[in-house]
Amino acid sequence: MAQAAEEAVVRKSVRVQATIERAFSVFVEQMETWWPADHHIGAQPFQAIFVEPRVGGRWYERDAQGNECNWGQVLAWGPPHGVTFSWHLGPDWKFNPDLAKASEVEIRFTSEGPAATLIELTHTKIERHGEGYEQLCAMLDSPNAWAGTLAAFARVFESQAGR
Amino acid sequence: MAIFQKLAKGPLAVHELAGTLPVSRPAVSQHLRVLKDAGLVTDIKDGTRRLYQLDPKGLALLRAHFDKVWDKAMSAFQASAEQPVIGEKHGTSRGRSRRP
Repeated sequence: MAQAAEEAVVRKSVRVQATIERAFSVFVEQMETWWPADHHIGAQPFQAIFVEPRVGGRWYERDAQGNECNWGQVLAWGPPHGVTFSWHLGPDWKFNPDLAKASEVEIRFTSEGPAATLIELTHTKIERHGEGYEQLCAMLDSPNAWAGTLAAFARVFESQAGR
Repeated sequence: MAIFQKLAKGPLAVHELAGTLPVSRPAVSQHLRVLKDAGLVTDIKDGTRRLYQLDPKGLALLRAHFDKVWDKAMSAFQASAEQPVIGEKHGTSRGRSRRP
């Protein structure tokens, strides 16, 4: 039991040379400057990512055309020391509005000096994405998934070699 | 996917799962078979009972997925947070509307 609970958690920590206020601000107000661009859930890449600064606020991306896609919601809001989100995206990057099937991401900010901040991220309740995981298995088995991507990758080299 | 969540708390027998869910025992068994085929659930023998539990390998893969996502995101965040504050000069802070 304890083992299953332990395994369903991801912990990350990083130290940044910035004030706690700046670290928090970059995290929640400038997410599009650092969030991996290929991890978007809309059909188009995101132009901006927003966090509404309150408990119950939305966390969402918006593309250049103004289309919005929800990622989750703010469960706890305590700037600049912490923020907690519900995470509704399974491994398939599809949004599931059901809060009972969402995992949780808690981020704690601890000041370690005038220009040093420790950021600790804890992603819990990952097992709730079990359904998404099943889809991930199916995706991995489908020719359009990773195998397909690798095949396309290989073709690039083949076409270059053929020139 | 209630079965998956129930099993996240520990191993259970089919009748224990069925007793807490609004579905029939055969339906629970069928769903367990699907989960087992997907590599998410394994069964173990506990005396004469057969218990179902989450396959640690399946959960580990799910965990590995998020681990990778956050590794990438957090190192990019670190780089972004340590950038000199030049947003205003380039108009990326005030110039672009942050209003949803």
